[in-house]
Amino acid sequence: MSKKATRGSKPKPDPDAERSAKKTTAAALKKVLFVSEELLPKDGDDGRLRLERFFHPGQGKEALFVTHPDGQMMELLEYAEPRRSWLVNSEVCSNGRIYMTTPVDPTLLALHHLRKHCAQRAMSLDNIAVEEASTSRLLNEILDPESLKCVSDVKSSGDQRFYKYNQERTLAWLALKTRQVASMLKEKQIHCGHSAQSQNFVRSEKLASESVTNEMDYTRMACDIVGRYLDADLHGLLTAYLQIPSEIQAIVEEKAAAQKRKSKAGKDEGTDSKKIKLNDSDAAAKLKSSGLVDSEADPNVSITSPTPTPLKERSLTAKEKALAKGAKGTKSIASFFKVK
Amino acid sequence: MSITLDFNGKNLAKSKQLDLHYLPAKIDGDGEANVEQYFNNYTREATEFGSGILTNALRGYPLVGEQLKVPEGYRGLVLQETEKPISESSDRQLRLTGVFGDFTYWNYDKVPSNGDAYRQALLLADVAQALSQPITEHDLEAEIARNKENAKESP
Repeated sequence: MSKKATRGSKPKPDPDAERSAKKTTAAALKKVLFVSEELLPKDGDDGRLRLERFFHPGQGKEALFVTHPDGQMMELLEYAEPRRSWLVNSEVCSNGRIYMTTPVDPTLLALHHLRKHCAQRAMSLDNIAVEEASTSRLLNEILDPESLKCVSDVKSSGDQRFYKYNQERTLAWLALKTRQVASMLKEKQIHCGHSAQSQNFVRSEKLASESVTNEMDYTRMACDIVGRYLDADLHGLLTAYLQIPSEIQAIVEEKAAAQKRKSKAGKDEGTDSKKIKLNDSDAAAKLKSSGLVDSEADPNVSITSPTPTPLKERSLTAKEKALAKGAKGTKSIASFFKVK
Repeated sequence: MSITLDFNGKNLAKSKQLDLHYLPAKIDGDGEANVEQYFNNYTREATEFGSGILTNALRGYPLVGEQLKVPEGYRGLVLQETEKPISESSDRQLRLTGVFGDFTYWNYDKVPSNGDAYRQALLLADVAQALSQPITEHDLEAEIARNKENAKESP
């Protein structure tokens, strides 16, 4: 009978399934974007924004960037949750992503090419990576050459300028960037400790103000954020420059500190338990004084300076005596295990 | 290869306002749906959870949501690709469907809070702003000098 019921509950083929399938192919994927007002063309402005790919040093491959005809550029980030979709007016949009433009310093992207090509000798920008269209577009059309002063030595002869990568300046520049990011993290009260996950559940205003602000945690997080735009080895150099201990080391240190706290707490607990014991003996003393238990000890003395040891001993011996008495006439346990 | 966002200032000013819902569900499929009758019709205000909190349901699953503005300094756009790209390397165009200034953010059975991934992700915009802030040459020279002094002291 139950079998029949399941068969009966089999869903009937949807009559308009075919129609909806057709619709799916007809409607092209929509994309939802948050675009910065700075980038958007103003009224009467006929320029069009473009999405272009440039090499992203942190990802080690090309990534999408939005470019404005006047050379301004922003990174295009994708926000995706595992289960999200949009309703746009009366349409379902299965692409539940939000594409968001975030400002990016083109110097960070140029840094990769400078290190690659201009580490040994000074070069002019139009001579770097002529074979890579996107790189030369980045260096010549988008990048502000002035900004390269921060990461390189500039030599000019006539109109031409030549750039040579300067590690000392670069690291100092990156360190300043890191500090800017760290202060923003602090301002936004973003939790940066390695126990961040547990904080996610209760990220309320109250908690944020209570949380211990650890300078190094902020610097480490900021350094990691800056590092997302750097070659891996340069990120390593920056970490060393900022004298950031590795996270594992920090965790070990914190654990040691926690252990210290714990042992301290343990000590406190120890005294607590002693107090409880004291109370116990007090109770024993009271019992004695009440006459229920006969004793020769002065009750006053036992209250002020409890003497639990003789009491214990005596009870122990009494126990032993009782045991010995009970054991009289019984066989020794060992006798059962004798070899026959 | 590049992708052109095919609209200018005039198109943008004249484009229509869209009504958007950000649903906490993966939907396998795109296309028309009677949103007004079967979804918007059931949106209720739930003042017991706080002001501006809305409730609705999607296939019987409770939704709790709120009207959110697009983050400050940003504009919401919906773009659509009308023609399929012929090949990977060909130039592509995205056309403007419409714009929006606010949308309804829905959570599955949870009142929207600062713990939502969406809100936390928005913090990144401020961080990126801080990162892209240019550094003056004066500050840079000071930092280099300071680092040199530190290097002298430490050994």
